[in-house]
Amino acid sequence: MPGIAEYLILGAILFALGLVGFLSRRNLIVIFLSTEVMFQGVVINAVAFARLHHHMDGQVFALFLLVIAAVEAGLALGLVVLLYRRKGTLDAEAWSLMRG
Amino acid sequence: MTSMTANLLYLVFALGGAGMYLLLPKENKRQAIAGAVIGALAVVGLLTVLAARVILPDETSAFFYLFAAIAVLASSRVVTHPNPVYCAVYFVLVVIAVAALLVLQRAEFLAVALVLIYAGAILVTYLFVIMLAHQGGSPIYDRRSREPLLAVLAGFVLMAAVAGRAEDLPAPVSTSTSPVAVPTADVEGAAAQPVDSNTAAIGEAVMTRYVIVLEISGVLLLVAMVGAIALSRKNVPVERLAVPTKPIGHVGREVEPY
Repeated sequence: MPGIAEYLILGAILFALGLVGFLSRRNLIVIFLSTEVMFQGVVINAVAFARLHHHMDGQVFALFLLVIAAVEAGLALGLVVLLYRRKGTLDAEAWSLMRG
Repeated sequence: MTSMTANLLYLVFALGGAGMYLLLPKENKRQAIAGAVIGALAVVGLLTVLAARVILPDETSAFFYLFAAIAVLASSRVVTHPNPVYCAVYFVLVVIAVAALLVLQRAEFLAVALVLIYAGAILVTYLFVIMLAHQGGSPIYDRRSREPLLAVLAGFVLMAAVAGRAEDLPAPVSTSTSPVAVPTADVEGAAAQPVDSNTAAIGEAVMTRYVIVLEISGVLLLVAMVGAIALSRKNVPVERLAVPTKPIGHVGREVEPY
């Protein structure tokens, strides 16, 4: 039976993969998909801690995390559609006006 | 976890980082193949290192390694695939593997909710947006990634920092029972309800201790809905330019309130 460490390492791996995608991809949609991968890692970690402590808080936390993920997906995709209608491209580099 | 295991893990993460670097979209097909081979080696190494810790592998651990491999491979494809549609489909695979892992940890309600919300609702939204904003061919920003080496280095540093601390955690006390020891109700007669089911425990926690959070998340969903509608109704001037040419500060003023 895998212990807590295996689940935590797996969650951290998913989180790191999502981080790499978030930092390096240029397509706005794929950037937000990478954040969803990071959410999956967090869900695994929360549930692993819930099992470790024999307590429900971790699972409830993961449940509210799903709510946040839904909110984030709706708002972020609305923004992506808005940005796409403005510039006609999904390239994140097209929105680098704040770059010094 | 001994420190030798931690060192092996560092090695595996370095290997996986190298594979990810080669796999990230670039103009070189051969590099991607080499990256896939190195990445697969890293996954096999990871599973071996993790499996070496389990003295008596049983059925549950076999399922854990199967779904862990699926989750890691699919999420690396989400991050590296040049076509966003395939990214979304691989993400469905990640969600299903994670749901299976949640079932292994006795979080059945969350597993079902994850599949329903992610694979059912969020992914459909993503696919809608991908179809809306689809451009013919594969554009340059999907084929070239931005600073892949620095991104992989950041991921590796994060992983090394996490794996070094994982050994301090205790093993779970008992794995065969439900996470919450709800006392079974002393119901006389036949109507003995399954109080200690996962769903009942979550519902009890949500409706008692976390009821404020539940209300807040409802308000949050409402706000997000209003915000998304307001965002997408806005009448934007179309400037079909990949490179912004207008001076800074000009853009925000041109957006008419709907």
